[in-house]
Amino acid sequence: MSGTETPTVLVVEDEADLVEMYELWLAGEYDIRTALDGQTGLEALDAEVDVVILDRRMPGLSGDEVLKHIDAEGFDCRVAMVTAVEPDFDILEMGFDAYLPKPVGQEQLRTTVERLLERAAYDNRLQEYYALVEKQATLEATKRRVELANSEEYDRLTERIDHLQTEFGRIDSDEEFIATIQQIESHDRG
Amino acid sequence: MIEGNAATYDLSEGLPVETAQSIQPGTSLLISGPPMAGTEDLVVDLLANGARRGEGTVVVTTGNSAPAAVAAVTDRVPEADPRRIVAVDARSGGGDTGGGSQTDAGATVYRADAPSDMTGIGVGITNGFDRLAETGVERGRLGLTSLSTMLAYSNREAVFKFCHALSSRLESVGYVGLFAIDAAAHDDQTLQVLKQAFDGVVELRERDGAREVRLGGVQPTPTDWVPLAE
Repeated sequence: MSGTETPTVLVVEDEADLVEMYELWLAGEYDIRTALDGQTGLEALDAEVDVVILDRRMPGLSGDEVLKHIDAEGFDCRVAMVTAVEPDFDILEMGFDAYLPKPVGQEQLRTTVERLLERAAYDNRLQEYYALVEKQATLEATKRRVELANSEEYDRLTERIDHLQTEFGRIDSDEEFIATIQQIESHDRG
Repeated sequence: MIEGNAATYDLSEGLPVETAQSIQPGTSLLISGPPMAGTEDLVVDLLANGARRGEGTVVVTTGNSAPAAVAAVTDRVPEADPRRIVAVDARSGGGDTGGGSQTDAGATVYRADAPSDMTGIGVGITNGFDRLAETGVERGRLGLTSLSTMLAYSNREAVFKFCHALSSRLESVGYVGLFAIDAAAHDDQTLQVLKQAFDGVVELRERDGAREVRLGGVQPTPTDWVPLAE
């Protein structure tokens, strides 16, 4: 997701009434795509999609199976699984980023999507921050102090790092914290 | 953001520099030095000083067993309330993940699978914070000994990001974080990169057989080197 575009949300849910309702609730804020089954959901998925609202229990391809495909193909999207029961941390290990217990309310749906987008922004920022810090350390290791003092590149880098530092928020909930670390670990393994 | 001095942490007992007297809640410090300089000891000292003040203690260990890590704190502060101490055992082959058990002394232990099991460590820390909150603890110190072991199991990027995320979490709960690293075990670039995940760096060194310490990053320029009491 780039900063200025409208984020894209894909809703995969076999109950047409629910799809319509979710669409209504999210309209205006996001570009919405919908699919009434898992297979169609996968076909509607591409790099533009930022968040997937995924029903776990669907005839044909289930939510879990769709999630496996999403992971296998390495799409950089966040998945909110719509489930009948509230999962614990163990279920978080199954690879989705949030869960929405049924029945899903309007406020809950909207805040979940917002939260997932914020988390994606944090992960992207952390990735950029790390890349810049690495670059800065490389320059410091390879150039002499006087060279650094006269280097515009080094100046810009330091400025950008300082700026990014101020943009990081705190991580305010256990769930966000664990999800962030899972993302880091899966990136490490990937 | 600064809510008066009452909320700050006094680390000056273990860290004898003036700026250590009022450390903002949520501050994370990298504690870096060569093997003989006692970086891990300093982390435990700082945890023990907090325990003496009734603060909560979370110790994440990749080397000692959880009971040993708890004992390192309670040996220094026999009067510490063990219910306010949590250990997260992140050794290899440390056992099953999760649920929380008690040491003989009454401290709570959570386990991760290995030093590479960042999610397990994160869950253990989270459970620890919750556990301490249940016992009425609002302030605390988290120590991790050591990042060097984590770096042996995971790459620099992952460890950096883990530290950054943990620092961001500590900021929210208002704890102070203390992360030991063996400076001799890593190249300069690794240390230089990792520093950027923290708010400040405590450096240790040995001079003529005496330990010296300085604190950098919390203020624009580092403090002078000062001797560390044995």
